[in-house]
Amino acid sequence: MASVETVFLSGDQWLKNWLFSWGMPESWVFLCTVVVYAVAVLLFVFANVIFLVYLERKVAGYMQQRLGPNRVGPGGIFQCVADALKLLGKEDIIPASADRGLFRLASLLIFIPATMLFVVIPFGREMIVADLNVGLLYFIAVGSTATIAVLMGGWSANNKYSLLGSMRAVAQMISYEIPLAFSLLGVIMLAGSLRMSEIVAAQKDLWFVVLQPVAFITYFIAATAELNRGPFDLPEGEQEIIAGPFVEYSGMRYALFFLAEYANLVSVSALAVTLFFGGWQGPWLPSWLWFVIKVYFMIFLFMWVKWTFPRIRVDHLMGLAWKFLLPVSLVNVFVTGTAIKLFQAMGW
Amino acid sequence: MSGVYGEGLLKGLGITIRHFFGKAITEQYPERRPKLAPRFHGLLSLDPTKCTACGTCANFCPNGVIRIKSERDEQKRRHLTGYEVNLLYCLFCGLCVEACPEGALRFTPHFELATYRRAGAIYDLYALSREAAGERRAAGG
Repeated sequence: MASVETVFLSGDQWLKNWLFSWGMPESWVFLCTVVVYAVAVLLFVFANVIFLVYLERKVAGYMQQRLGPNRVGPGGIFQCVADALKLLGKEDIIPASADRGLFRLASLLIFIPATMLFVVIPFGREMIVADLNVGLLYFIAVGSTATIAVLMGGWSANNKYSLLGSMRAVAQMISYEIPLAFSLLGVIMLAGSLRMSEIVAAQKDLWFVVLQPVAFITYFIAATAELNRGPFDLPEGEQEIIAGPFVEYSGMRYALFFLAEYANLVSVSALAVTLFFGGWQGPWLPSWLWFVIKVYFMIFLFMWVKWTFPRIRVDHLMGLAWKFLLPVSLVNVFVTGTAIKLFQAMGW
Repeated sequence: MSGVYGEGLLKGLGITIRHFFGKAITEQYPERRPKLAPRFHGLLSLDPTKCTACGTCANFCPNGVIRIKSERDEQKRRHLTGYEVNLLYCLFCGLCVEACPEGALRFTPHFELATYRRAGAIYDLYALSREAAGERRAAGG
């Protein structure tokens, strides 16, 4: 079991030793391992996204009492491969009136923060690319830059629907950023750190979802809105504005937006697991497997919610963020702070 | 209004999770054949031994789907030589079946009638029935 637990860490160590044996200077070895880490993270993201597209359609099917994709391969497992090939083979159309540079840039830019988020996620015991001392801050800061790419995509397409969609996306993502950040504050106060590894270590005996249920629910709602997923999928609102910012994108550029969306789903679920469900900690199984299991549990929760609730109205959406989630998360921060001080005063 | 705030949301989640673990209600068509009603309107079939080539069915057809070919023998009796049904125009309304005085025309449950060419949708029921009869004879000995 111990070897399964450390399979990735020993691989990393082996790679470093191998590079050193070539007589490479330390800075070069460091550079090489960074490249390997980046490739590993990208592989993790791509593999998950490809599986998630299939999973989403399967979950949606089962929740609507049908089977979902079942034609390509056993149980439709190769559906995502067929979809990916189709998207790769499609023509890359750029509208005549579009701002060509911005249009191209937006589709690339959306993917960068989506993958950058995985840098601070602890995938297992000591399996974290960069254990920043401001890990959580980094996550929120980088995550919120995705808004710019969405706005760029919507604006440069020069299409009223994509502009409407991206305006909605920006309004929604900025509004929900605030309750999201405040809901995490309770966890930070309990853990006493922004460092991801310390937050995980602080949940050794008790998961924070038990101590911070309100924060978890607030985080869950705000994260759903951040992801632009149903019931908060107004920016995409198929029935009114077709696909929002992605209207004019086709082929691989559209696939990049899709990829980023599912990569964000994984990263937001991973953050929820790290902050509320004890991260990679768990008995018997190797830590990275525990992490994946918990992340997929969170992803299932997101999908369950998406395929249950209808889309809410735009003013209700804003009302929910500013009049409900923000006060609730502020009260949660206040109560948590008071409780911590009380327990300290009582000498616990 | 009864119950706690958010009760409806939980109720909805309960319904979807029950469906998730329940059975699919959709028909898995190519693997499982549909159960058709006995009087399902599929492809027409003709019994040429009963047909007198009177042409009542062709007259009743609202779309002119049916074309009958016949010839007269020495006693001036009419004999069927061809019975073409152009399914491109057929409504499957069943007026021809109702109109037939001899009960020679009826519906079969055969419904997979898609073809690659327009000509494929034109069926000669007379030839088909003779083929079927020939096969039966061959199978019988």
